[in-house]
Formats: sequence, structure tokens, C-alpha cells
Amino acid sequence: MVASFKRLACATALAGLVMTTMANAADIKIGIVAPMTGQLASEGQDMENAVKMAIDAANAKGGVNGDKIATITADDACDPQQAVTAGSKLVSEGVTAIVGGYCSGAVLPTLKIYGDAGVPFVIIGANSTKLVAANQGNAFLANSTGDMQATTAVELFKKNGYKKIAVIDEGDAYSSDLAKLTAEAFKNAGGEIAARETTTAGEQDYSAVVTKVKSSGADAVFWTAYHAGGALLTKQLRQAGFQGGIVLGDGNNSPEYLEIAGSAGEGVYLLSPPTVDLLSGAADFKAKYKAAYGRDAGAYAALSHDVGDLIVDAMARAKSADQKAIVAALKASDFKGLAGEIKFTDKNTLQTSNFHPVVAKGGKWVAAE
Amino acid sequence: MTLDLVIQQLVNGLIVGSFYALIALGYSMVFGVIKLLNFAHGDIYMSGAFVGLIVFSFVGIWVGNGWLGVVCALLVSMLAVGLLGVVIERFAYRPMRSAPRLSILITALGASMVLNGAALALTGGRHFAFNTDLGFAGVDISAVHITYTQMVLVAASILLMAGMQAFVSRTMYGKAMRAVSIDMGASRLMGIDVDRVIALTFFMGSALAAGGGVMAGAYYGSVHFFMGFIMGLKAFTAAVIGGIGSVPGAMLGGLLLGLLEAYGSSLPFVGSEWRDVFVFGALILFLVFKPTGILGRSIVERV
Repeated sequence: MVASFKRLACATALAGLVMTTMANAADIKIGIVAPMTGQLASEGQDMENAVKMAIDAANAKGGVNGDKIATITADDACDPQQAVTAGSKLVSEGVTAIVGGYCSGAVLPTLKIYGDAGVPFVIIGANSTKLVAANQGNAFLANSTGDMQATTAVELFKKNGYKKIAVIDEGDAYSSDLAKLTAEAFKNAGGEIAARETTTAGEQDYSAVVTKVKSSGADAVFWTAYHAGGALLTKQLRQAGFQGGIVLGDGNNSPEYLEIAGSAGEGVYLLSPPTVDLLSGAADFKAKYKAAYGRDAGAYAALSHDVGDLIVDAMARAKSADQKAIVAALKASDFKGLAGEIKFTDKNTLQTSNFHPVVAKGGKWVAAE
Repeated sequence: MTLDLVIQQLVNGLIVGSFYALIALGYSMVFGVIKLLNFAHGDIYMSGAFVGLIVFSFVGIWVGNGWLGVVCALLVSMLAVGLLGVVIERFAYRPMRSAPRLSILITALGASMVLNGAALALTGGRHFAFNTDLGFAGVDISAVHITYTQMVLVAASILLMAGMQAFVSRTMYGKAMRAVSIDMGASRLMGIDVDRVIALTFFMGSALAAGGGVMAGAYYGSVHFFMGFIMGLKAFTAAVIGGIGSVPGAMLGGLLLGLLEAYGSSLPFVGSEWRDVFVFGALILFLVFKPTGILGRSIVERV
């Protein structure tokens, strides 16, 4: 009795993994893999909604190559093990292509499954450089990898006329990598690194770093770590009378930063991922999204919508549901979406960074001119 | 090192140093009377900052976000957290007083985790803004900008510490404290209410740490559950350098440590990431070569 109950429970759990929308045999099936449960369920829900919105729009125009498109959502819960189960399930359902993936850790083990099956896979959120190495050629990263932020940072420095930069990180892998890449890129672009400093996470007093920055004669500071330290650093730089520019890495994209930094945060630049609120052309999309789903579009909704459009576009250009043809079509993508341009390199990563600078004005982030 | 840099680092060192000194005082006083390294002391500092923030946001409705609000927050928080210290002593340390030294040390670690965990659970790990209207106005000495807030902060902590020193050296209770620290058994025989003196010590030490917490929160503008950890370690270091158990030693140790950090990290070819290396390197050197610190007396262990 207990054993059969367990079996039933397992079967129910497996069934719960895959939520199939009404799919006719003739339809093209697109898999959506996203965290539908767990801490990031809200992001997953946004991804599903936004992709469906794009697919529905395509269906309303008659589908692609004469076929209607159906979607199947699988929950990876941002967990590597569940992601493997979800991925295998989608492949055995015979989906034509898959979009999604928010957590790099959960996407990584599925690349082999999709690669072996030859399913075209467009990754929406996940952006670890590890994904690039594990890719078998069928996967595409629609979000900038973390290292591309360095390119955007250097572009901003040059645009703002900064010549000597102080680069500061918090000593962890993410922020020190970004600091290193940016420092190298800025030097190659003819800039000068006036100071290269590291702070201790959890520390409140940054006076040592602030003093070094001031005496180094840097005309701007680039902070690559997270919002808590960023807010303290900003405040203490301004308190010490530092007049130069302050630029923050994407880890500072939090309302807490603006709260804590207060008036000292005014005029500070942030390198933002293509968050829907900070995209200039996304107002119409936001309104439509809210009308369709009764909730505000989350951070990755715009990019998810772009990927939905992109996969329809690729299938149309491939003129068939043949997976090899779709992969080839994705490779040749030249797509302009809400979140920016999607063109792939020979490693299937974005050619141009989709990070973009925003600036703090009146206690809010607004798109930088 | 240019003169500007020397002055700037002096300012930096004095500010962090006064925080270290305020917290080191509590460490030192508690160690003085019951020979306990109160590891919960850093979390007491953190609790002080949170209580201060709550009071500050509350009274801010009537008195605004200026000095008056900060002073209210400071006083209420010192009182409330002083009592918290007494409660911790009553329930966590007093039952363990005759237990082996290691047991009570572990209890102190437990008390630290209880406070830290409770703060994490209550705040969800968020960083809270402690936004005052104190502003960045001040005076400029060549290229060094010193804000009025910084001056008041250093003055306030020196005042608090001087008051503490006067209390310990001039009053009857202070005398009782010193007596308990020298010989608890004999003090009891002389009619001193030892439990009460110990409770008072915890009250004063915790109140000072809370004062430090409120000032740090208001000065740096942010408060979070983990802020007591590094501060606790560094204040402990300051107490050891100054001579643990000694009140003037704690103040001296705190200021010296602040200056060591500031000047150490501005040496050529040394990045600011080395500043903790200086701090804890100094701790090890003192523990090895002069465990009684600069102003501490050697304690003869009686068997």
C-alpha cells in the first residue's frame, strides 16, 4: 500500500514537471524550460509568459510555415538534477526547439542532453562563460556573458571622457574577474588604471580605499561588486569630496543601492542587464504584458519575448521544422528586439553586449543618454 | 607619502579607531570581571545599530532626521541594548560562571549566533538605509575634507570613554568593579553584591557597543545583520593590543589599531586589501610576544 502510494506520488510529481498546453499532432512544439517553482519561480513565470506572448502573436498571424506553434513548459527549479529530468522529458516529447534557462548551474548539465538530441536551444537568462565551453553547437546565448560587461564599461568610460580609472572589487570570483577584464580592456583602449583595489565584504569602513582613489588622481571609479558595498563606497567617496564619476557593475542593480546611497547616488552610472524597466522601447510591451497576465513584467520579460520572436523568425527563415536547418538559421540571425540586437558569434554568444548604462536621477535609475 | 595623505589617514584612523575603542571597552570590561571573552559583543553592537535605526525612524516623524534624532536613537538604544546585555548575562553566562572556562566560551559563541541568527531572520538579510540629514559639510585642510559629523563622532566617543573611565576610577561602583576583577571571592566576603556588579559591567559594556553601533549606522548610512562580525573581531584585537582587562588600554588599542590600518594600507606597493593582514598580524604578534598588551598587567594564575 505504502509502496503503491509512493509510486503514485512519483508519477504525480513527474506529471507535474511537464505542463502541456493543448497540442495537436500537427503542431510544432516549442519547449520552455524555466524555474516554475522555488525561489526564482517569479522569474520563471515571466519567462514563460513572455515567450508565450510572442508565440501567440505568431499564431495569430497564421503560425510559422503554415503550422501552429504549441508550447510545453518544463520546470527546472534552477536545480541541476531537476533540470536534467525536465530536459530529458522535453526531448522525449519531441519538441522542435527549446528556449529558456535562467540559472547557469541548472542549464549546464542539460546542454549535453539537448546537444546529443540535436535540439536547437536558445538560452534566455543564464550567462556563465562555462556554458560557452560546454555548448555542442546547438545552443545559443541570447544574454550577454558576464565578461561582455567589460566592453560596455569601457565604451561608457570613453564616452564620458574618463582617462584614469580606479577599479575596485570585493575579492570574490565574480567581481575580481570583471575588474580584471575591464582593467585590461581599458588599458588596451588607451586608458590608464590609476588604482586597482579590493575591499573586504561585510566591512563598513572604506576610508582606506577612498583615500587611495583620491590620491591616485583617478577621474572615475568602477565598482564591480555588489550593491551593499557599492552604496557604502559611493557615500564615502562623496563624503571625502571625490568629484569624479562613479560607475557600478550589474551586481548593484537593486533598489537597496539607491536607498542607502541616498543623495550621494545621484548621477552614478550602472551597467544594467536588459531589464524591462530600463529599456527605452519597452513601454508598449510592458502595458501589453500587464493586460495579458495581470502582473508587471519582470526583469527578463523583454529578453524572453525577444527570444520567443527569434525562434519563430529562425523557423520561418529555415522554412522547415528540421532541427539542423533551424540551428543554421539561428546562427545567421540578424534580429533587433526590445532588449537589443541579437547576432551570434561563431561561439553562439552575442556579438554585441546587451548591457547598457543607466544613470541615477531623482532616486531612480533611468536610461543614460 | 604626502602631507595630505598623512592627515587624511590620521582622520580615517581616528574615526575607525574610535569605533574599535568603544567596542573594545566592553570586551575588556567583561573580561576584566569574569575572565570571559564575550564573543556576542560584536552582535550586541549590531543589535544597537538596529535598535537605533528603529528609534531613529520613529522619532524622525517629530524631530526630523538631524542631530536630535541621532541623539535620541543613541540614548534609547544604549539603554535598551544595555539591558539586553544584562539579560544575556543573566540567562546565558551566570549559570555557567563556575563551569570550566571553555564551556562559558562556547556559551558566548552560542549567544553570538542566537543574536546573529535572530537578526537575519527578522531582517531577511537586507541592508537597511540609515539616512540622516547630517550632510557632508565640513572644513578643508589643504586637500583633506573633514566633515562636522566626523568631528562630532570622534568627540562623542572620546566623551563616552572618558565618562566610563571616570566611572570606573572615581565611583563606588567602579571600585566594586575593580575589586571583583581582582578577586571575586574576596569581594563577596567584603559584602560586595558580585552578581549586581557583573550585571552592571555587562550593562555598561553593552551600552557602549550599542552607542558605537548607532554612530556607525548613522555615519556609514547602512545597517545589516552581519555588520558586527568583522567589527567584533577587530575590537577584540584592539582590546588585546591595549591590554585586555584594562579600560584605558582598550581606548589606546582601538585608536592604535585604527591608525595602523589607515597607515598600513597606504604604504607604497601595499593595496588596501592588505589592511586586515595588518590588523590580525598585529593580533598574532601581540599574543605571541606581549599577551598582556600595552597597558595590561600580567595575571598570575593561582592554583
